[in-house]
Amino acid sequence: MKILRKLFDSTRRHFDEGGTFGAFKPLYEAMENFFYGPATRTGTAPHVRDPLDLKRYMTMVIIALLPATLAGIYFYGLRTLAIIVVSYAVGGTIEVIFAVIRKEEINEGFLVTGLLFPLVLPPTIPLWMVGVGVAFGVLVGKEIFGGTGRNLFNPALVGRCFLALGYPSEMSAVWLKPGEGLTGSLLQWYDTAAVTGATPLGQAKLGEWANIGSLLWGTTTGCIGETCAIGIILGGIFLILTKVANWRTVVSSLGSFVILAAAFNIADPDRFGPVYWHVFAGGLLLGVFFMATDPVSSPNTNGGKWFYGIIIGTVTVLIRNLTGYVEGMMFAILLGNIVAPMLDEAVVYVRLRRLQNER
Amino acid sequence: MSQITKCEIQLEGKPADSVLEMPEPRKLFIPLESVRFSFDSVEVEENRSVQPGQVLARDLNNFSVPLLAPRAGKVKLGEIKNHIVLDEITQQEEEPYDHREDEAHIPQEMGSVGLKRYKLLALGAWQFVYDAHSSKLPDPFGTPRAVIVSTVNLEPYTAQGEAQLQKRLADFTRGLEHLQSLLEYQPIYLVMPDINSEFSRQLRESIRGYAWVKPVQIAPKYPGDNFAVIARKLGFNKEKDSPVWAMRTEAILAIDRALTLSKPSTVRIISFGGPMVKEPIHLKVMPGYPLKDILAERLESGPVRIIDGGVLTGAMVSEQQKGLTAECNGLTVLQEHSEREFLSFIRPGSDRQSYGKCFLSSFRGAFKERLNTALRGELRPCVACGFCEEVCPAGIMPYLIHKTLYSGELEDVEQMRVDLCVGCGMCSFVCPSKIDLRGEFVKAQEDIERELHAEEVQS
Ligand code: SF4
Ligand code: SF4
Repeated sequence: MKILRKLFDSTRRHFDEGGTFGAFKPLYEAMENFFYGPATRTGTAPHVRDPLDLKRYMTMVIIALLPATLAGIYFYGLRTLAIIVVSYAVGGTIEVIFAVIRKEEINEGFLVTGLLFPLVLPPTIPLWMVGVGVAFGVLVGKEIFGGTGRNLFNPALVGRCFLALGYPSEMSAVWLKPGEGLTGSLLQWYDTAAVTGATPLGQAKLGEWANIGSLLWGTTTGCIGETCAIGIILGGIFLILTKVANWRTVVSSLGSFVILAAAFNIADPDRFGPVYWHVFAGGLLLGVFFMATDPVSSPNTNGGKWFYGIIIGTVTVLIRNLTGYVEGMMFAILLGNIVAPMLDEAVVYVRLRRLQNER
Repeated sequence: MSQITKCEIQLEGKPADSVLEMPEPRKLFIPLESVRFSFDSVEVEENRSVQPGQVLARDLNNFSVPLLAPRAGKVKLGEIKNHIVLDEITQQEEEPYDHREDEAHIPQEMGSVGLKRYKLLALGAWQFVYDAHSSKLPDPFGTPRAVIVSTVNLEPYTAQGEAQLQKRLADFTRGLEHLQSLLEYQPIYLVMPDINSEFSRQLRESIRGYAWVKPVQIAPKYPGDNFAVIARKLGFNKEKDSPVWAMRTEAILAIDRALTLSKPSTVRIISFGGPMVKEPIHLKVMPGYPLKDILAERLESGPVRIIDGGVLTGAMVSEQQKGLTAECNGLTVLQEHSEREFLSFIRPGSDRQSYGKCFLSSFRGAFKERLNTALRGELRPCVACGFCEEVCPAGIMPYLIHKTLYSGELEDVEQMRVDLCVGCGMCSFVCPSKIDLRGEFVKAQEDIERELHAEEVQS
């Protein structure tokens, strides 16, 4: 630790204004503040502050994603790790470039995007495509809006949407059978022999319902981080308990999803799958817990969050059951992102009216 | 209006209820500026001897509220910038109040009530009274809708009513009677903690039989003690020209002193606490008491920040300030942050408490923390986590006001009722993006008053 401190102190002058690497000051500061909490003091009242900062906040999301991530590595082999590394490397580079251009600090937001993005990709995806997707997601989903905090859409979903539309066959034609046993696929790069054509949601369109146990544990085909329902739920509950994810979004989207899916199922049990199956299959849970709850791209107001969740839950069921698409979560959340500002505006309008009457 | 959510700030160094009487000072350094007042109109000359209770200066923008000499002494004006220095201090009996010249200001129709109210102003008791909604000094001759008297001070750390009232409960009830004699029919709400302590039992006992005093119990959770929060809870919304008066224990004691003994209140009991104070306690002091003498030998070693008031709303005491201000009700001493912690954001954190339950401490009960002046993170754009709204006692939307302050017009900000912000500081405290929300809103309130309502004030 001392050595690291010395390294920072001895190289600082190069990164100051006018120094050799003056332009890279944001990078230097980000690294220093990463290792050593920032030296900043409060300037005015309140003189003391809560220990929670954005780094910690984002760290919580990453911790919550760990079960699903580890499950992904276990099921789909070490190549999963490579996908994550590519995602972080490309996403991080773009973040740094923009921070340098804008002369702003590097934002922690990409730490989450960089991990969330691989989890919604199929395990067979070519590595270059991972890079392209994350680049698109960060650039178009975030940076052109002005960076973290100002983005309209969830960057990970923008990247995935781009790949889904641009490379449909790579994104949905080939799937891996998950590894099994004590070591799963942990000892291999990835199992080329275990290729198959369909996910549970896809099979369902053909009238085959996967069994509930394998959906819970994740021994079905699917995107890297979307199959292990138990891991996702554990992480999601953790996020809600730490107040990082807002429970209102989760309750309203899951609730509306369950109710509507049940209604469909009752109406025509042969055509529409049972509720539990709908909940545990595909990307619903990961989307509900980790993407719909992204605070920046969801409505700010609590009232708005209720409606937002309902929109997401409802649209997902409708897409899954009534269209040719097998998966509806991604479009539902992107749609939710679009209407989020309007929902906010409506709620704010009502609240301000009430406040203004209080003169 | 939202409830006070569970976000408690537990700071080390709570002052004990006991009161330490500070030794007589040899010199007093009385700052001309305090939180609400600036005593610009100086009424004494260099080297003049003054009597205790004599007017040193007035704030002409605040109903000419006077700055009184706490002791007899010799005036030095130029010695320290923005201070009146009293040298050669001697302790003398205050001259009893006589019907002094400016009684012409009293509205005729008020009669004896007007005389009494003027006496409060002249004897320095009125400066302890607040407009509950704006926390400004109300017009002493105005008509309030109601009066709130609070014995609760929840901000860490400001003077506790309990400490100030020791052995003075009889004076307190007599002060309440005086207060009532100034009013017509308006109710007096007496705010006390909703816990069964000896103190609240005595308090309840002492006001038994006063039908005009309505006890109000509040949970001892900051910022529930804020006057505006209490007023709105009691159903008194902000209304122009019809204020709610609010005051604390010391105001009632000062009123009693003024109207029973006709003497000025210059000595007061303040809190002295915070993690860097060796023995946190209450102090009996007077305005102008040399800070040096208070702090010497009483602090832990290391860089410190002295705060006039509590940690959430108090103002930093500058190097230039040499003595206690006229309004000071507590000194809080924090350590200035200097040590950077290795990989702080991934520590388990059983030693730090947070509103967001992101630290291991969530599994243990509440404990007192040794907080310092660290910002504890880096400034970031708002991520819309919503914490600020959840903790705001005013029921407004801090993040929205913050965004509008950057992009919109001041009129829009006014529409969002930034005027309801009571400046409690909870939003800034919890914000993970470390945005100075409270500071922005306090400034916006001033800007709105100056730019949008300038004409109203003049007319
Ligand atoms: S300081 Fe913040 S929390 Fe307190 S009243 Fe104002 S906006 Fe609300
Ligand atoms: S607490 Fe800070 S980051 Fe969270 S919504 Fe409020 S202003 Fe934004």
